[in-house]
Amino acid sequence: MRLDGVSYRYGRRGAWVLRDVSVDLPPGGTGVVLGRNGVGKSTLLQLVAGVLRPSAGEIRERPGPVGWVPERFPADQPFTVHGYLTAMARLHPMTDPVDTWIDRLGLTAYRRTRLGDLSKGTAQKVGLAQALIPRPKLLVLDEPWEGLDAAARELVPEIVEEVTAAGGIVLVSDHRGETGRLPGAITWTVADGTVTQGDVAQAHAVIEIAVPAAEAEATAADLRAAGHDVIAVRTKAVV
Amino acid sequence: MSALVRMRLTAFVRGGRALPGLLGTLVMVGIIYGGGRSDAAEAYGFSAVALFPVVAWQAKLLLDTEPDVQRRLAVTAVGPHRELAAGLLAAAAVGAGTVAFAMILPWLFGAITGPAGIAPGLWAHAASLVAAVGLGALASRAVTRSTLYGIAVLVTGSVLAIVLGLDGSVVPWLAPPLMAAARRLADHPDSASLVTLSAHALLWTAVVIAGYARMRRTRS
Repeated sequence: MRLDGVSYRYGRRGAWVLRDVSVDLPPGGTGVVLGRNGVGKSTLLQLVAGVLRPSAGEIRERPGPVGWVPERFPADQPFTVHGYLTAMARLHPMTDPVDTWIDRLGLTAYRRTRLGDLSKGTAQKVGLAQALIPRPKLLVLDEPWEGLDAAARELVPEIVEEVTAAGGIVLVSDHRGETGRLPGAITWTVADGTVTQGDVAQAHAVIEIAVPAAEAEATAADLRAAGHDVIAVRTKAVV
Repeated sequence: MSALVRMRLTAFVRGGRALPGLLGTLVMVGIIYGGGRSDAAEAYGFSAVALFPVVAWQAKLLLDTEPDVQRRLAVTAVGPHRELAAGLLAAAAVGAGTVAFAMILPWLFGAITGPAGIAPGLWAHAASLVAAVGLGALASRAVTRSTLYGIAVLVTGSVLAIVLGLDGSVVPWLAPPLMAAARRLADHPDSASLVTLSAHALLWTAVVIAGYARMRRTRS
């Protein structure tokens, strides 16, 4: 799959979000989209998934079917988990049995639960399930670890490996540093409307450190200067 | 595509969004037929005009039922063209149900006479239905992006459809031929005028749907 001179802006007079982006991913490849909040990572993912059309340029050799996991699953719909996934499965010619992914993602207890009654993490699992049911050849994951429990977070790299092993392409964005669990992934760094394709990423570990609040900015600057990737600076402890 | 039409109709009914249109239809039918028995052709001509804003509103309600992100998920599943067509077909299906309800109900209460008026009445409602689905689509959130603009498009379109269709209008072709159809039905139309008005309705709807499709290309 190749993005050839792709540019995008929202509306005819909107500011350009992405300009002249040319990157590619081979079959069986995994791409990790990196960048600060608001630089256009989600826009890039939606262009790749075919949700948005490029304002200029084109995307060639996009494999199908496409599975897209949005950053926030739209839970405000009058369906149960099973009813929704069954309805989504019917949109595709070839799918895995719905119950396969309900069981695998730990949704069995929520089969008859209405989408609106789900917690954010469980709704995110439904979003993951609907993308995986059609056996995607292109899987686009927008912050897939957000809100997931520990067991489901472990499952994401496993699923990515299964899709790529079958010759599919996976593109993931993440600001939690979880993509360090995807060794062999190619990085696409989004900044100032451009995308820079990096080398194959090495496996990374995430170290959480606590410093006095007054020293947070200085410590983050020191770490960046030392070549580390500072994922987040929080002023409140998260238990 | 039929699976997506079914999914959208299910969400529309289960979400309770079918009720406002049903109540609106009941009110319209009550106003039109409340005064006593009428000739079917004449009454159906005015019914088709009165139902135009109701069916357009229903089409907007149906197309707005789905959250924006779910509509995008549907695009990844079936592609942008079939996603768009499925929305219009679902809106047309709901409109057809409303038309059937509004045409059958007066018969049940004996408010209509003259079975010969059923066929031209059906034609007038069909012309109103396709045009109303077009207007509802133009007013949907996927195009207007806000409730306020959506309502403005819906109300302005409905008012213009009547005002521009009045007898003596200098630009009757800018509006769907609802008023012209109502006038013809009252005068027992010939087949030539029915063909002309049908062509007008289809052309108007085709232009509106083309505008809708074009705007959807850039407003996902």
